[in-house]
Amino acid sequence: MTEPMSILELVRNASFLVQAVMVILVLASVASWVMIFQRWFELNRVQREIDDFEEAFWSGIDLANLKAELDERPEDQTGIESLFAAGFGEYRRLAGQGTADPDAVMQFVQRAMRVALTHEEERLGRHLPFLATVGSTSPYVGLFGTVWGIMNAFRNVATMTQATLAAVAPGISEALVATAMGLFAAIPAVIGYNRFSARVDGLMKRYEAYADELTSILHRDAVTQ
Amino acid sequence: MTVVRDYALPLILAIGLHAGVVGLLMQNWQDRIDADEEAMPRLIVARVVELDQPEARPAPPKVELPPPQPEVAPPKPPAKPAAKPVPEPDREAERREREQRELERRLKELQEQSTQLALDEELRDLQEGSTQEATMSYVAAIYSAIAAQWSRPPSARNDMEARFGVELLPSGDLLSLTLLESSGNAAFDRAAEAAVRKVRRFEVPSGQLFEKNFRRFSLKFKPEDLLR
Repeated sequence: MTEPMSILELVRNASFLVQAVMVILVLASVASWVMIFQRWFELNRVQREIDDFEEAFWSGIDLANLKAELDERPEDQTGIESLFAAGFGEYRRLAGQGTADPDAVMQFVQRAMRVALTHEEERLGRHLPFLATVGSTSPYVGLFGTVWGIMNAFRNVATMTQATLAAVAPGISEALVATAMGLFAAIPAVIGYNRFSARVDGLMKRYEAYADELTSILHRDAVTQ
Repeated sequence: MTVVRDYALPLILAIGLHAGVVGLLMQNWQDRIDADEEAMPRLIVARVVELDQPEARPAPPKVELPPPQPEVAPPKPPAKPAAKPVPEPDREAERREREQRELERRLKELQEQSTQLALDEELRDLQEGSTQEATMSYVAAIYSAIAAQWSRPPSARNDMEARFGVELLPSGDLLSLTLLESSGNAAFDRAAEAAVRKVRRFEVPSGQLFEKNFRRFSLKFKPEDLLR
């Protein structure tokens, strides 16, 4: 105790349960950061994709050509592209069969797009529940480790004749490391969760707006034919 | 494949981030403690003794290292095939045997010596541990005695610090008290001095422990707390 204690030493000297808590928290923190980075890249990619697609969509290109272009690479039709593919594909199939009633056609188209929308929402919101769980539980897990560590520190003091601060301090210090780790894991997870769920909401709004626009275009087309 | 592509970069970034944080934390932690630890120099004194031992320790293994047996063993087989000239090999073998016995004896001696050394070291470690504990408890007693007598003047501010050099007699009586470093506030210095003088007799250990740590030491007074 004469030398300054390193944080590593504190962790190494901690009791088994506290160490287990620390390991869980470190894993939770790493996992949540993986999710944060992954969501970050993914949502940025989706945003770019929407911008690009809308630009192409409103450039006056023939929708049939656009669909043909997308059909050339069916494996990575994601996001707004799959929305368009679902809506326009359904419309063309029904129009090809010669279904006369435009309202009935539009109902099918809308249903197909709603299914695609649900899929997209699920894709965008993936991992967010994990972040929420880490954010809300890891402070408690860390606190549990701390309480346990302090309990032990005081129990050991009870058996000593000379109860000095130096006897309890290491135990408390090592126990508090668990709380610090819990907060370290929780704070980014909570921030990430809030930020990403707001972005997912924004993206979903754009999807819905686009779906409405496509519906109206197709409806007009169906009526005029 | 997409899983690998999607998660490889995030995983690397996340692990890199954690490694960076851990590294930074350790650096900071060390620095901060160093600054505070300055307040506890006397306990380190006990450790200095330990430095002699690493030097003493490597010595026995060095002597032990050249194992004499292999050197003696190879010459033995040639002695047997040359069994025809009877008298000479006999003497030769006898001499070798004696040599070997001598070497074995020496080896055993060395081993005993080294275990003895290890035992000594362990014993000393143990004693040192208890010495440290005893020192700490006496230090704690001195602090509480002074703290009980100390009344902080109202003009004391948090960043003030006064240092006193204290000399004690083996009985624990105060021999001399000198102001080493003034806090800049005369009232604070006086109050601290008065506190030490009021205690008059300190509880101190006897013998070597007293000589080493308690004959003369310095006290550091801070308004927040009593620190050495």
